[in-house]
Amino acid sequence: MANTWGYGAMTNHFGDIVGHSKAIFVIGANSAVANPIGFKHMLQAKDRNNAKLIVVDPVYTRSAAKADHYLRIRSGTDIALIYGILHVIFKNGWEDKQFIEQRTYGIEDVKKEAEKWTPEVASDVTGIPAEQIVQIATLLAKTKPATVVWALGITQHSVGSSNTRILPILQLVLGNMGKKGGGCNIIRGHDNVQGSTDMCNLADSLPGYYGLADGSWKHFAKGWGVDFEWIQKRFFEPKWMNAKGFSLAKWYQGVLQEEKTYSSSPIRALWIQGTGITSMSQTLKVKEALDKLDLLVIAEPFVNEAAVITDKKDDVYILPACTQFETEGSVTATNRSAQWRSKVIEPLYESKSDEQIMFEFAKKFGFYDEFVRGMMMGVKEGKIQQVKKDFVWPDDASDEIARIIKTIGLDGWTAKRLRKHQENWHMFDPITLEGKGPMKGEYYGLPWPCWNENHGGSPILYDVDTSVKEGGMGFRNRFGLEHNGVSQMADDKVTVKGSLVQGGYPEITKDNIEKVLGITLSDAEKALIGANWKVDYSGIIEKKCMEKGVAPYGNARARAIVWEFPDPVPMHREPIHSPRTDLVAKYPTYEDQKNNFRVEVKYKSEQQKQDWVKDFPTMIVSMRVVNLSGAGMLERTSKYLSHITPEMFANIHPDLALSYGIRDGEDMWLHAPHGTKIKVKAHHNVSVTPDRICLPYNFAGVFQGVDLSANYPEGTKPYTIGESSNIITNYGFDIITQISEYNAGLCRVEKA
Amino acid sequence: MSKEILHDVSLRMGRRSFLKMAAIGASFGATAGFASSDSIRSATPTEIKDPYPGSKRVKTICSICSAGCGIVAEVHNGVWVRQDVAQDHPISEGSHCCKGIDQIDLVKSTQRIKYPLKKVAGKWQRISWDQAINEISTKMLKLRQENGPDVAMFMGSAKFNLQQSYYFSKFAAMWGTNNIDHVARI
Repeated sequence: MANTWGYGAMTNHFGDIVGHSKAIFVIGANSAVANPIGFKHMLQAKDRNNAKLIVVDPVYTRSAAKADHYLRIRSGTDIALIYGILHVIFKNGWEDKQFIEQRTYGIEDVKKEAEKWTPEVASDVTGIPAEQIVQIATLLAKTKPATVVWALGITQHSVGSSNTRILPILQLVLGNMGKKGGGCNIIRGHDNVQGSTDMCNLADSLPGYYGLADGSWKHFAKGWGVDFEWIQKRFFEPKWMNAKGFSLAKWYQGVLQEEKTYSSSPIRALWIQGTGITSMSQTLKVKEALDKLDLLVIAEPFVNEAAVITDKKDDVYILPACTQFETEGSVTATNRSAQWRSKVIEPLYESKSDEQIMFEFAKKFGFYDEFVRGMMMGVKEGKIQQVKKDFVWPDDASDEIARIIKTIGLDGWTAKRLRKHQENWHMFDPITLEGKGPMKGEYYGLPWPCWNENHGGSPILYDVDTSVKEGGMGFRNRFGLEHNGVSQMADDKVTVKGSLVQGGYPEITKDNIEKVLGITLSDAEKALIGANWKVDYSGIIEKKCMEKGVAPYGNARARAIVWEFPDPVPMHREPIHSPRTDLVAKYPTYEDQKNNFRVEVKYKSEQQKQDWVKDFPTMIVSMRVVNLSGAGMLERTSKYLSHITPEMFANIHPDLALSYGIRDGEDMWLHAPHGTKIKVKAHHNVSVTPDRICLPYNFAGVFQGVDLSANYPEGTKPYTIGESSNIITNYGFDIITQISEYNAGLCRVEKA
Repeated sequence: MSKEILHDVSLRMGRRSFLKMAAIGASFGATAGFASSDSIRSATPTEIKDPYPGSKRVKTICSICSAGCGIVAEVHNGVWVRQDVAQDHPISEGSHCCKGIDQIDLVKSTQRIKYPLKKVAGKWQRISWDQAINEISTKMLKLRQENGPDVAMFMGSAKFNLQQSYYFSKFAAMWGTNNIDHVARI
C-alpha cells in the first residue's frame, strides 16, 4: 500500500463509513468478532445509508452473516478475484478515466493483465461463481462511494504484498480514493499496532519508516543528541546497521541455522516484551530454537507461552511488566488518530512498566545517558540541541517523537495537545471527527499527517478537494520524479484546494524549495534548512509549505507498477501448498529467495516438492473468535472470556467429519505437510465447506497432544489452554515482508 | 471497622501498605464483622448515591483492538473499582465488546506475574528485581562480548504505547542490532 501511494495505513475512518459509504467491500476481515465496535459502524452505514455490505471470505463468518452479498473465496486467490472484477469494469468502460489519467501511473499494465481474467477464468481459480463476480463488479461500478476494508486475511499470504496492492488499484480504477466514504480502510489488529508499526519495532526500519540508510541514522543521531559514529560503533560492523535484521517470521533460523542465514552472529539470546510466541507460524521450529537459546528474557503481565512450550531448564527469566492501565502514554487507533491513555492505577505487585524495565537495563548496558537524552533536546534558533537537564515521562518522549518523526507528519503530536484531545473528546463529531467549540479546526486525535503544532490532522488521506491546512493532500511523491520517461507528478489539473502551486509537484527539498514554491530563502534560512522535508529540524520547509498550501511530501501519482518488486504488477500465484495442482503449473509461486531478513526462504522448491494435496487434501483457514485476540495470552486469563471457548476446536463440515468417522465434539488429529500435528475438538459446522476446515489461533499450552500445564509458574496458568493452530500453519512467507502464510495451507484430518 | 475508618486509614497509609495490613487483619476482620448483625450500621445517603465517595473517574483507552474505544475507569483509594463505557467518546460512543468491558478484570486477574521468576534446573524460583537485572545484564553483556550485538533478538509489542514502542526501537538500536520485530502482522 505504501508502495502505491506513499503511506501504508487506513486512509479514512470508521465514522466516515457511517456517514458516507454506499458500499462496503470487506475482504479478509471478520470485524464482527475481531473489532466488534469497528463493525458496528458498518452496520450503522447499512441502516443509515442503505449501504451494501459485501463480504469475501473462505468461511461464512459472523460478518458474512450480516452481509448483503457473501462471496466464498478459496484461500489465497484474492488477486484472481480482483482481476475478475477489474476485467468486467474495464470491459464495460466503467473505470474512472479522469482519475486514472490525472492521478495514477501504470494502470494500463493492470488493464492488460485483467484482460486474461474473464469472470469464468477468475471463477475457476477462486471458486466464486462467474455471475457473482459480474454482479459485484457492477455493484461496485455503480455505487459510489464504496470503501474497501481488509485485515490479516489479505496480508498473511506468500502473495500478501501483492494482495495489499491489488485492492488499492481497484479503488484507484473506481476513483474512490481521497473521497469521503471511499478509501482503503485497513483494520489493524492490536490496540496500538498502527503506532508500534509507525514506531517501527521492525527489522527493516528506524521509527517513522525512515529505513536503515546512513542518512536516516544521522537524522536520528541528531534527534537523540548522540554522535552518528557512536551508534555506528554499537553495531558489529557499519554494514550491519544498514542491513535488515531477522524478522519475527523466521528469527528461529538465526538460532537453528537449518536454512542458510546471513548475519554477523547466530542468535543466542531472545528478549521478549509483549509478543505472544504462539502467534508465529512453525511453532515446532520456534520451540526448538527456544530450547537451544543461551538466554531467554520475558517481560509480561501474564506468562508468555515462550516460557511454557520450551524444555529449556535454565537461564529463563520472567519479569513482571504491568498492564497498559498502570502506565501512561498515547496509542494510535487504526485510523491514525492518537489517543492519550491515562494511568488508572499504580503498577500492581512487583510489576514495573515497560519503559522502566528498558531504563534499568539501559543503565546496565551502559547507554542510559544516550538513551534518554532525546527527551531533553529541543529546537532552538532553528537548530536541534539539548535544552534541559531532566525529563518527564511520557510527555518528553511524546515531544521527542513529534520533533523527529516528520515522514508521517507527527510534528503536531505534542503531549500537551494529545492530553487536550482526551480531556475534550466529547467535543468531536463521530462522523467527521471535526472538533467543535474550543476544539474547532482540529480533528479528533489529530490523525497523521499532522504537519505542525497548529495543524488539525488529516482524517482522509489523499483528498485534493480539501486544503492542506484542513487535512487535504495529493498522493505522496515517494518513487522518484519520473519512470520510463513518464512524470510521476500529478496532472496539471490536479491542484490541491487552496494550493498556490498549481498541479502536481515533487517532495520538497532544500534544492528545489525555491523553484517549486516560487520563493527566495534568506541566507540565514539557507544556513539552517535541512536537506529535505523529512530531516529538516529547522522547520523551515514545513513552514514555507504551509504558507503556500503545499504538502511537504509532494503531489504525485499513485503507481500501479512497483518496478522494484518481483511482480511489478500484482500477479496471481498459488499458495505454497495449494489444493489445485493443475493451477500450480499455471500460476507457480516465486523462485526461492536467497536472503530476506538474513535468511533464505523456499518458494518454488517447496511448492513443487511433491503433489501435496494427495496426502493433505483439506485446506486450513484461520479464524477469529469474539472472546480472544492474538495468542490469547490476555483473554485466556479471564474467567468470563475463556468460558466462551473453553477448549481449542476446529470447525469442520459434517460431511467431511463423518467421512472420517468423526462425530460432533469428538477429538481429531490435524496433520501438516511439515510433519507436525495437533489434537483438537471437531465442531460440526456448516460455515465451512467440506473442502476446508477453520480454526482459531489463540490457544497454547498443549503441544502436539501433550499437556504442558506443569510448565507454567505456579498460579499463572490461564483458565483455558489448548493446541496452537500455528503448530500446523504451513511453511510459506510473503516475498517482501516475510509475514507467514497463516491463511492458506493444507492438512490431513484423522480421527483421534 | 466502618467504611469511613477504612477510607481514612487507607488514605493516610497509601494503598500498598494498607493492603498488606488489610491482609494481615483479614481473619480478625471477618470474625468481628460477621459475628453479629447488630454491628452493621446504616448506609449514609451519600453512600447510597455513590458507594465510592471521593473516587476519581479516569478517561483511558481500551488495550484490546485498534478501534480505540474509550473507557472511564473509576478509581477509589488507588483501586480500580468500576469500569464504565464512555458515552461521549467519538469512536466508541458508549459501545464495548466483551473483551473491552473485561479490561478491569484483566488488570486484576489472579494470573498476573507478580514478581521476577527464574528457571533453575527446570523449576521456577522467585527472585528479586536486583538479582534479575544483575544476572540478565551480565549474561547479555557476556554474549555480546562473545558474538557481537547481533547475538540478540528483540521482540517488542503492538501492546506498547507509542512512547514505549519508540523507546524499544531505540533500545535495540543502542544495543547495536536490527534484530527487532513484533506482531505487527503487516
